[in-house]
Amino acid sequence: MTRLRVTDRASGDRVGDLDPAAESVSAPPSPDERPIVLRATTPSRVRGRTSVEVVVAGWRFELEVEDADLADLRERATTDRAAALHDGPTEVRAIIPGRVISVDVAVGDIVAAGQRLLAVEAMKMENELRAPRDGIVERVTTATGQIVEPGDTLVIIL
Amino acid sequence: MTHPAPPFRSVLIANRGEIAVRIIRACHEMGMSAIAVYSDADARAQHVRLADAAVRLGPPPPAESYLRMDAVIAAAIASGADAIHPGYGFLSERAAFAKAVEDAGLVFVGPPSAVIDALGDKLHARRAAASVGVEAVPGTLDGVLTERPDQVAEAVAMAERIGFPLLVKAAAGGGGRGMRRVTNSAELVAALAAGSAEAAAAFGDGAVYLERELRPARHIEVQMLGDDTGRVVAIGERDCSLQRRHQKLVEEAPAPGLTVAERRHLHELAVRVGTAAGLRNAATAEFLRTPDGAFYFLEVNTRLQVEHGVTELAMGLDIVHEQFTLAAGRPLSDVALAAAERAADPDSHAIEVRLAAEDPARDFAPGPGRVRRWVMPAGPGVRVDTGIVDGDRVPPDYDNLVAKILAHGQHREMAIDRLRRALDETEIAGIQTTLPFHRFVARHAGFRAGDVSTDWVAEHWDGPADRARAVGAAANAAAMDQAAATRAFVPGSGPADEASDWAAAARAESIDRWPR
Repeated sequence: MTRLRVTDRASGDRVGDLDPAAESVSAPPSPDERPIVLRATTPSRVRGRTSVEVVVAGWRFELEVEDADLADLRERATTDRAAALHDGPTEVRAIIPGRVISVDVAVGDIVAAGQRLLAVEAMKMENELRAPRDGIVERVTTATGQIVEPGDTLVIIL
Repeated sequence: MTHPAPPFRSVLIANRGEIAVRIIRACHEMGMSAIAVYSDADARAQHVRLADAAVRLGPPPPAESYLRMDAVIAAAIASGADAIHPGYGFLSERAAFAKAVEDAGLVFVGPPSAVIDALGDKLHARRAAASVGVEAVPGTLDGVLTERPDQVAEAVAMAERIGFPLLVKAAAGGGGRGMRRVTNSAELVAALAAGSAEAAAAFGDGAVYLERELRPARHIEVQMLGDDTGRVVAIGERDCSLQRRHQKLVEEAPAPGLTVAERRHLHELAVRVGTAAGLRNAATAEFLRTPDGAFYFLEVNTRLQVEHGVTELAMGLDIVHEQFTLAAGRPLSDVALAAAERAADPDSHAIEVRLAAEDPARDFAPGPGRVRRWVMPAGPGVRVDTGIVDGDRVPPDYDNLVAKILAHGQHREMAIDRLRRALDETEIAGIQTTLPFHRFVARHAGFRAGDVSTDWVAEHWDGPADRARAVGAAANAAAMDQAAATRAFVPGSGPADEASDWAAAARAESIDRWPR
């Protein structure tokens, strides 16, 4: 079973990182703290997150649940983007699993922020990966036809 | 036994929400038609749905709808009502409204306009109490003026005689409006000016007076009924000490820890004030009780109180029924007289909590919204008065009361146990309510011991900490729900083809409708 991350919708604070299969989580709550869980009336602004409303002991929470591994990935991507504002290499990683169908840059190319680097096909959909910032392509660690997993480094921009 | 004739043919209820629903129910029980009024915010509200007819008053703001005397009276005349019940709040304590109803040839279900006028002015009420030897909370019996320097000096001298901390209060006030707390004479002049300005804006009367702040104290009030013969009786007392910002949160009847002699004394004080004021119909005399056991008169509310239900349960009568028969000119009923007879020694106990759309982790900040799931408690000894059904909006234009949850038992411990159980069964989502606070109260050893005062909430309630304790369980629930949803989504991955079992059961049910 995958680990799930729970985030408070308003504050963005992480309120839990849980494995639903684990004993502590599946233990039934005491009858006086039976939770109510409802789909939220408005969806999450973040892709891949499920918004729920939970009421426990009368307290109402607006929470968002997502796969913890994907959340880590997004966090790292965000950190990289922040780091990109400074100097140093930036890793461009796969965010979905799939097959690389084209690589549009080579080592030494000068790229501009937003420029297409490569494309990954998953479920008959082409997903483009674009340069997060201006820079020079230092390394290309994948090739057309290769199967990639989320988090795999594909291109490094200096 | 013959059923008595209905006191009126048709009654207009000049109110909304739970109290309108509660009064409509009494009308229907007594064989009377109920006419509702509504603002645009309430066009599909429960009180409109339950009434036999409904008349639109105007847009949501109270001043353009529920406070429009002319529109309410016109609605009553147009719909053929012969009486108007004002409920609480809105027009219920406006003498001018009661007078206009009387002048229109309709019956106002409440005290006569002259009594509302006299007792609605708190200074007048304090003087009336003093005139029959009932001690009011120490303070001034006349309005305090600060226009001239000698008046300011006199006000400061009076304040120093009364003692600090004291309260500046509006003579026409209610609900804490126009009230200012003053801890020394330097603050006094500014507080008088501010209180007076607020009172003038809220009530059209800027008169203010001084009253000592009695703390710690308990807020105890006496339910009174009176008939046209001038007879006034006390139907027991209620303890409403658990408050925040002078708004009641929890009420109970009888007040815990009083002796029969103390009750008898308190009821006698109230009846003395009520009789002196010429009270008719229903009203409530409020008192503060200091730790030494002394009672100090505060004010009289000349209307049905929000918390009247605890008296009904504990004393075994229906106050709204009594209001209607009294308004029709009938004498105090045998039921009311019997309740008054045992009022000092009641044989059961009732507690009410006010479930409000407020956040008890953020100093009870109001938060209107749409109720998404509303499962009311039920079962032995539980009563719920509400105007909200699942899916309704709690509009931002009116007060935040969602429901009154009442529990009744043979004694206080049983009432508390039933309250705790009822609150644990209560489900409400979509809005944050005061439910966590009430659950806390129902479990609190000090409350169970009857140790209550007007400082109780500030001393015992830590909302943010209580909320923080629930976060983990909420996160767990969210994760479990998500995991279950994912399992259900992927065929074959759930526990033993759950989905197809459900489908099979649904098919069987649709075919097999009748018992074999």
